[in-house]
Amino acid sequence: MASSIPGPDTCPEFKRRKRRITDDSLASSHSHQRNQRVKRWRTQREQHFYSSKLIQALHRSRRTSAKEVHETAYRVLAVLAKGTTRWSRAILTARKMTKHKRAKVASSTRWRRPAINGEKRKTPVVQKKLQALGRLVPGCRKLSFTNLLEETSDYIAALEMQVRAMTAITELLAGGGPQPPADRLASNVNS
Amino acid sequence: MSSRRSRSRQSTGSRITDDQIIDLVSKLQQLIPELRGRRSDKVSASKVLQETCNYIRNLHREVDGLSDRLSQLLASTETDSDQAAIIRSLIME
Repeated sequence: MASSIPGPDTCPEFKRRKRRITDDSLASSHSHQRNQRVKRWRTQREQHFYSSKLIQALHRSRRTSAKEVHETAYRVLAVLAKGTTRWSRAILTARKMTKHKRAKVASSTRWRRPAINGEKRKTPVVQKKLQALGRLVPGCRKLSFTNLLEETSDYIAALEMQVRAMTAITELLAGGGPQPPADRLASNVNS
Repeated sequence: MSSRRSRSRQSTGSRITDDQIIDLVSKLQQLIPELRGRRSDKVSASKVLQETCNYIRNLHREVDGLSDRLSQLLASTETDSDQAAIIRSLIME
């Protein structure tokens, strides 16, 4: 048990775990994960890793139509997430799903009310936009508000990295040609 | 930042406080380049969500465009730089 570990110098997560019930310990480990997640996708190292995985995958498949490149780019991105986010799992399962299964899943979720958000005073406008957001992020149509926002921030960071990486690869292939990378995609964190 | 999460047990339950919503929305706002650095009380939740959707759609479009461009470059021999040739041969074999 956590009580065998000496007190005040340990990290806050331990103290919280000692005092409170499981829900909170889950929450505190979530917050630790969340902090790690903030750095995710934003380091140079990860971008380079993604780039090399992408190039390897393209090499293996040998088919380089735009569609193939597109699918591969997303698949490699999702694999890098290592199953920790809903959007990445959704991308990977969508690949494996047959048309039949996809239709089945779609119909079973269609009649279900999308707003199981525990909403308090969320106006219809906000509600609609939440739904729109849920449709944009893979696999997130019926998430709670909190989870949706968490998935969204991870998804956005991943997409930004994807754009940076593919831009860099494109520039290399074009012989270092002047393709201006979007300024706003500069890394947020020094790697 | 993690120490402020003492109320986060509610995020796994069914009730989300308004404060939590405000907090989450402002965090989301920081991710959107359009809205970063604007005061969060000046930007409505609806606008943040709207801009988020727009931003994600833009990113999707960029990836589409890059996929196109990448596939063109892989298929063509339009450049003769050594680097390009090496990379292309690594991919195309």
